[in-house]
Parts: sequence; structure tokens; C-alpha cells
Amino acid sequence: MNRKSIISLAFATIFVIAAAEPALAYVLLSPRRRWSTTPITVRVYTTGNSTITDGSGGVNATVSAIRAWGIISSSTTTSAAVRGSAPATIMLNTNGGVCTGSCLAATLTGYYTTQTGDDRIYDADVYTNTAVQMYSSGESGCSSEYDINGIMVHEVGHVIGIGHSNVSGATMYPSISACNTSARTLASDDIAARDDLY
Amino acid sequence: MTRRALSRITLLAVLLIMASVPLSASQFMVQPFDQVARDSRFIVRGQVVDTYSAWDEAREVIFTYATIRVQRYFGETTGPDTLVVREVGGTVDGYTQEAVGFPAIRRGEQVVLFLSNWEDSTDLRIHAYNQGKFLVKHRGNLEVVVEDPVKQGEERLASPNGGRFHVEGNAEGVALTIDELATMIEDARAGNPTRFSREMH
Repeated sequence: MNRKSIISLAFATIFVIAAAEPALAYVLLSPRRRWSTTPITVRVYTTGNSTITDGSGGVNATVSAIRAWGIISSSTTTSAAVRGSAPATIMLNTNGGVCTGSCLAATLTGYYTTQTGDDRIYDADVYTNTAVQMYSSGESGCSSEYDINGIMVHEVGHVIGIGHSNVSGATMYPSISACNTSARTLASDDIAARDDLY
Repeated sequence: MTRRALSRITLLAVLLIMASVPLSASQFMVQPFDQVARDSRFIVRGQVVDTYSAWDEAREVIFTYATIRVQRYFGETTGPDTLVVREVGGTVDGYTQEAVGFPAIRRGEQVVLFLSNWEDSTDLRIHAYNQGKFLVKHRGNLEVVVEDPVKQGEERLASPNGGRFHVEGNAEGVALTIDELATMIEDARAGNPTRFSREMH
């Protein structure tokens, strides 16, 4: 095999790998677990994110956005998240001491493992890296910012017990770029995951 | 250009493509490899010889403390033979707290870890989340590093005695040899363009 052939083969391999679409669909958190009742109460702490200039720091936008799941009862709260205790609380104003550096947002979820395999989620709280520039649906324009609506719809997917999907375009797909709002809208794969659990 | 060199470029190119996603994992921004390498305090190859989990003082977060028996320090740094790494997530008295998508650390693993200090303490953590953890595997006579396919909240099976997990998933994907990784780390930490960057940027 000559050098030109080797180079061609190398690049062909790269592009095949890069273009390969995983066959797997949605994934539930493991062990499988869910909240005991629906609708699931999720509160958004009233102190918003200082990088979001929509008047509420993204709080109102988040309250609305996470209802996309259809099984969420959302509202604001003046009580900060208490880890280990329901209700699920979204904190837009703090990293919780765990989401720094390259982390955008983090969901801390808690559960007891049962012998029956019917595990219940007891709490799930979401924290936000306040060092990262965010924007919401309440703002016009975007410049290298990350969409708080889509991020929180994704995080609430984790709150209700869903992991990452390999379906490109799904809200639970594990990647999104700045100024991309596609995660705001559930894909059929996300809905299938929700309906599997509830 | 030798066939070996081409093979190496291919591997590095694949790694670059895999790392070029602008935002990856649950909610993490992917950083360039050389930045991760430069910003790490220690980069080590070792074995996780023990883990235990405990609540923090405020009883808000469960942390897992992993003891790493270090077999090799990469780059110009060196340190003790044993390090303790603190990561979010773990199980205490039957209650499990997980940070979905964060790196998991399990007893018995052979790992390469990029480590930095927590912002509020001198404790060590995995730097840049999943970008800072690799599993070490054997392929023939070579030791290679692969991305850990199982993050917190993902597929795993608890062992009967608890605390140890059998990793499920495909860990046989694209891999670099330990020596290739070491060269990249040394280039990055020396402030030189890595071969990784020179070939592809």
C-alpha cells in the first residue's frame, strides 16, 4: 500500500467514525427510578442568574420551559434547595459548590435502592454555573451564550429519571452548542422515555 | 512519513473529532486537550485501591473519597505514592446521591486521572469532569487509555457487597497508548503546540 492510499484510508476512517450515528435511543437512569406520583413538583428559586437580562434572571422562562415535559408542576419559590428533601428545586444563582469550570449545570439526584427494583426518587436539585453567560427566551439575540430554557428542560429530564439519549436532536442528547435552542422542544425520543417511566 | 506516524495521526485526529463537540455530556463545555493538561495540578496513572462515601459537614452533599495508588506521574510534576481524590456522589446508609453525567470512580479501576484542587479546599478532584478521567486497558502488549463509558447515573450493576460496580458498556473504542498520551501531556504542559494541534489545526 503506498503512502497516498494510507492517507486516504486514514481520512476515510476518520469520517466514517465521525459520521456514524449511534443506534441506541433514550436511556433511563440506572437503576431505573422515578417519582412516586405525578405531576412532579419542581420549584425555581426566585433569585435568578445575573447573566440573564430578561427581568427575572431566567426564573420565569425556566418555570415555563420545564412544563414541556407535561408532567411537571412548576412554580417559583423563595426557599433554596435542600438536598435530600423534596421538592426538586432549580437554582439559577449558584453552582452549589459542585458545578464549576467546564460544567454548565448539574443535577444532583437522590434515591434509596429497594429490593423490589421499584426505586423512588426522593430529591433532585439543579445547580447552575454562574460564571457562564446564559440567555433566555425572554431576551432577543444571542452571542456565544447558552440557552437556559433548553438547559433546564434537559436537566429536568434528569430530575424525572432520564439519562442521555443518542438520538441527535433529542432534548436529552448529550451535546448542544451556544445559541442553540433545539433542546427546548421535546423530540419523540424524549417523550418515549417519559412515557416509559410514567 | 512512516506508517506508524500515519497511524498515530489517525488516532489523534479521531480524538480531536471526538473532542470537538462544543458542549458535551450532561451540561459540560468541552475544553481543548492541551488546556486540560496545562490546568491540571497532577496527571497520574494509577489504581483505585479504596473508596468510601460520606456526607459533607452540612449534610447536603455525599462525596466519594478514592485512594489512588500512583504508578506514574505525567509531565514535569511529581508527588506522593498515594493520592486521595474527592468526587461528588456516592451512597451512605442506602441513600445514593448522584450528579448525573459526572465522572464516577470505582474501586479496582486502572485509571489515568487529570487532577486539580477544589475551589474551596486543597482536596483533589478530577479536572474538567469526564475529560479528566480515562480507563487503562490492555490491548496485546500495549497499555491504552479509553474514555470511561459509564458516568454517574448510567448503566451499572452493584456487587452483592455494595460499593463496587461492574462496568457495563463498550470501553473498546478509540484509544491512545500510554506513551502517546504522555507525549501529548508533555507537549501541552511545556507550552509547546502538541502534535495533536500541529497536525489538525
